[in-house]
Amino acid sequence: MNHRGGWELIKNTWQSWIQHRGFFFLLAFGWMLPLLVYLFIWSAAAGEGTIAGLTQEKLAGYYLILILVNQLTYATTNWTVGDHIRLGQISRWLLQPMSPIYHAISQEIAGKVVFMLFSVPITGLLALIIRPQINLSWQQGLLFVPAITLAWGLRFFWGYWLALLAFWATRADSLLALQDTMIFLLGGHLAPISLLPRGMQILALVLPFRYMSAFPVEVLTGQLDRGETLVGFIIQLGWTITAVALYRLVWTRGVRRYEAIGG
Amino acid sequence: MHHLKIIGAFLKISSQAELAYRVNFWIRLLHSLLNLVTGVLSLVVIFNQVEVIRGWDMPGALAILGVYLLLGALRSLFIGPSLESVAGMDGEIWTGTYDFTLLRPLDQQFLISFRHWRIFAFVDFTMALGVLIYAQILLDTQLSLAMVLSFTLMLLAAVTLLYAVLLAFSALVFWNPGFLFTWVINDLFQLARYPVGLYPGWLRLMLTWIIPVGLMTTIPAQALVGTLTPWMLVLTLAFTIGTFLLATWLFRQGLKKYASASS
Repeated sequence: MNHRGGWELIKNTWQSWIQHRGFFFLLAFGWMLPLLVYLFIWSAAAGEGTIAGLTQEKLAGYYLILILVNQLTYATTNWTVGDHIRLGQISRWLLQPMSPIYHAISQEIAGKVVFMLFSVPITGLLALIIRPQINLSWQQGLLFVPAITLAWGLRFFWGYWLALLAFWATRADSLLALQDTMIFLLGGHLAPISLLPRGMQILALVLPFRYMSAFPVEVLTGQLDRGETLVGFIIQLGWTITAVALYRLVWTRGVRRYEAIGG
Repeated sequence: MHHLKIIGAFLKISSQAELAYRVNFWIRLLHSLLNLVTGVLSLVVIFNQVEVIRGWDMPGALAILGVYLLLGALRSLFIGPSLESVAGMDGEIWTGTYDFTLLRPLDQQFLISFRHWRIFAFVDFTMALGVLIYAQILLDTQLSLAMVLSFTLMLLAAVTLLYAVLLAFSALVFWNPGFLFTWVINDLFQLARYPVGLYPGWLRLMLTWIIPVGLMTTIPAQALVGTLTPWMLVLTLAFTIGTFLLATWLFRQGLKKYASASS
């Protein structure tokens, strides 16, 4: 497989996305807002005291980090995969001497850089206003790296295999909306997992959605003890492997079925 | 009368176009249901932890959600699609096809505000009414005629306000065609999901008087709950009229700036 071509593609995509930064800043702004809403709601609920052991400052720390983690793991490209299949653009990629997934990955990397250019300064500014409390240790920082890498991989491949269902059904992108809803409810956006009702908490721990967004934040902010962290990593790794396997399965089946129409 | 007839024609054309896509109906229904379920479930999760946040309890917050969904339904019925087609992504001002719209022998503001309809929004509208009725049952207050009247009046004010703000932001596109100003409002509108009183002071002021999305849901809900003072009612009406006139003026100014676009 030709990796050099992939690298060139990544560089090109990155440069072209930087040119359109206004649009992407707007997207980043849109993802940030719902999280800010729940930060403010829970802060108001906690008041001067605590809510399930979390103070206003800790909630602020959790949500500000979640804003960044969410944008780092959100796979925007999954939304366009279906269009490429439907409109036949994927034909061109299939002829290139490298896997079409490089196109998605190059857009992913370009996206992350552009989104961070917007989000890091804004969250920094917000941190000055709402004064979060974050206790960082180097162990947590070290564990955060695999946690967020796996979170990105899981969210990307999970969305990618769903998007590839466009080989069979034209509106498979609705499943991505469903995925976003599940991440909102069970991925620590609506509330930190510890604030959810019991039933939802169990679902959150078992299903893959927490491991796409909240888990790295919990690891970094030290909300988990050693056992919880270990179990979390095992489940996260398990779901990631499942997602990659599903991607390979759906891809090989789908691409055999693919037939371009028009010209 | 003439204008009503034209609206009727627009409505007919739009719905005929929309009804051609039958699968889309089910997908829209899925999205509407997801929106409803997340809205209600969010409140369940929040009020499972605390009974009252800054004077708002579950029924009051549910009333806000009802108003929010109702406004969202009205927006996607015609305000959103009409203005988006002019100022949204690949909108007419950006592509230059606005030339053809300008040539129509009709008041420009009327034309661009009522041209496109999405009749599916009636489903959202019904769901929103359901939420409002449910909130009213939970509130368990005796509804007086005055309360119903003031609620209806405030709801009309809220729709007008929403329209005016969207029009003003659409007008900004005349000065800077590359930027999706209407998306900013769509993003900020999410903040109207919750009572504006739950946000920190600086944000509350901004959402009330500068970009009045907070006003749009909180005031009608207060009318329903019975906490709206006559003084606030009059002020809201005056503010709505003022914003409407300002937006109209801004649109007229922008129209003068329009210089088409070449291919």
